[in-house]
Amino acid sequence: MADTDMYNSVPYDTYSANPVFKNRISAQLPVTGTVSRSTVVYEYPNTEEGYNAAKQNLKSPIPVNEKNLAKGKHLFTIYCAICHGDTGNGQGTLVKNEKFLGVPNYKDRDITQGSIYHVIMYGRNMMGSHASQLTDKERWQVVQYVQKLRSDLIK
Amino acid sequence: MQSSTLKRLLTGLSFLFIFSLSLNAQQGNAENGKKLFNTHCAACHKLDKRFVGPPLKGITKKKERKWLHSWIKDNASLIKSGDKEANAIFEEYNKIPMTPFPQLSETDIDDILAYTDDKPAAESSAAVQVDPALAAKGKGLFQTHCAACHKLEGKLVGPGLGNISDKRSKEWLHAWIKDNAALRSSGDKEANAIFEEFNKIPMTAFPQLSDEDIDAILAYTTAGMVKPAETKTAEAAEIPVATTKPLNTAWISYTIVLVMFIILLWLLLYSKNGFLKISAVILVLLVTAYVLFDSLMGIGLDQGYQPIQPIAFSHKIHAGDNKIDCEYCHSSAKNSKTSGIPSVNVCMNCHKSISEYTGKVASAEEKTFYDNEIHKIYDAIGWDPEKAAYIENYQVKPIKWNRIHNLPDFVYYNHSQHVTVAGQKCQTCHGPVEEMDEVYQYSPLTMRWCIDCHKTTDVNLKGNDYYAKIHEQLAKKRGIERVTIAELGGKECGKCHY
Repeated sequence: MADTDMYNSVPYDTYSANPVFKNRISAQLPVTGTVSRSTVVYEYPNTEEGYNAAKQNLKSPIPVNEKNLAKGKHLFTIYCAICHGDTGNGQGTLVKNEKFLGVPNYKDRDITQGSIYHVIMYGRNMMGSHASQLTDKERWQVVQYVQKLRSDLIK
Repeated sequence: MQSSTLKRLLTGLSFLFIFSLSLNAQQGNAENGKKLFNTHCAACHKLDKRFVGPPLKGITKKKERKWLHSWIKDNASLIKSGDKEANAIFEEYNKIPMTPFPQLSETDIDDILAYTDDKPAAESSAAVQVDPALAAKGKGLFQTHCAACHKLEGKLVGPGLGNISDKRSKEWLHAWIKDNAALRSSGDKEANAIFEEFNKIPMTAFPQLSDEDIDAILAYTTAGMVKPAETKTAEAAEIPVATTKPLNTAWISYTIVLVMFIILLWLLLYSKNGFLKISAVILVLLVTAYVLFDSLMGIGLDQGYQPIQPIAFSHKIHAGDNKIDCEYCHSSAKNSKTSGIPSVNVCMNCHKSISEYTGKVASAEEKTFYDNEIHKIYDAIGWDPEKAAYIENYQVKPIKWNRIHNLPDFVYYNHSQHVTVAGQKCQTCHGPVEEMDEVYQYSPLTMRWCIDCHKTTDVNLKGNDYYAKIHEQLAKKRGIERVTIAELGGKECGKCHY
């Protein structure tokens, strides 16, 4: 690629190395004590007590409707179904390929909207946190869809 | 009288002495045994794997102690004496005789045997007694209920469960699995010790498992530790790879160009025909113009660019074989301008538990290669796969991926506009990434290529009242039937250049 300023930018790219910062990378985490725009602060801590508290008290701020469910389904298919299966029965592609084992069926777990959100946020046991991949609203849309899947499975 | 009492006393004493000696020998000193094993045996024997000789873990359960002593001291004479077992081993290991060890004393040998016994044998007699049907049922149950947090060998969220029956009683295990919280609150010491050891994360209770189910799972944790005798090596035998050279056709075009060049040169220098000379000059000018134009048009064009990446990440394995959605890792494509290079925590969502490659490989080297590539992630983020935990205060090392797709700075491009609004598949521009081991730039990414697509792609009007209205007005105004992106301004310079 021609090395003119029009092709390669003068400012640092999102993922480029960066001599300005201590850790030499452009992609920085927000400064401690600050939040970026549209961030929703989540106050339950990543502990067993936090999980139980969220399970009891945390409620979804978004209404249950077709639009949210449709979006939730779309996101669930991308981020969750690969392990949890399209119906939430714990038989996703990675489980069938024996890459991941022991993914529970939603109907065997006592989960609430608060606990689902908490687990997406922090992960639980071998499941990792999906907070970096889903925004606050998207997490709630997924929660809504998971609850629908669970009630379908229990039927 | 006296002498006979003395004799009895002596015989008694000597018996006692011999007995105590043999008792002492039976127990053996495993620590000394380890040293001796490493000096004398380890060149040809491992504990748990076949090496030059057989694995020696739990060997005393398979052979008599007396037999082992005479074998170790002088296996050649044992074979000669016609001992069946000795001859069978000799045959099995390709008639390579074992070095005799006459210098080892009885105690030395017992120490070594104590060492080989120290850890419970992989193929313990208990494992053999397990009902295979029960173990098979247990495997299914284990994978459904336990495997999310437990492996047979090594820690995961909870402890490794291989041969757990050797460590805990059956009753205790049943009680723990069904309701570990109740067991802990009953003040059971073992239960509380485990709870403490694993950071007070309570295990999920399994009241739905019947006694039979739990027995099946326990059968599997024992039977699952017996490894099939190295069948993998046979499978992994190298498959000959056919290496047919592609027919080289380049020399034909080179020859043609060379011949034409010689003819032209001859025409210009030696021909007396004026018309031919002028035609030749025009031809040379045209060819030069074409070559010049072509090379100028190629500036900044990187179609097919395929750099070597720091980790041999295969999109084929992830997106192809395992059908992980592109957006799982490139999660910002739906909301932002860039599609995003996943940060290592996203890799770790799966690779916390997947620490080795288990897909199809042509050779053992290939598996090692892939395993090493996975371990590069651990190296970057500081994950200890043995302890299944992040290393504290680790200096993380960013992975320096090489950028493949890059638009010049004077072009605006937005992923979310194409992925979320237009609903385009990633493959439309990036090609069959799910078939690429190493990603290359599939599309030319030129302006013409963008515009061509804008001209031919219809706007999706389904469920979008806003576009439906515009479509209606546009269709009336311009007398057209389809509304493409170009009709909505997808051809305007200012849409992308501003």
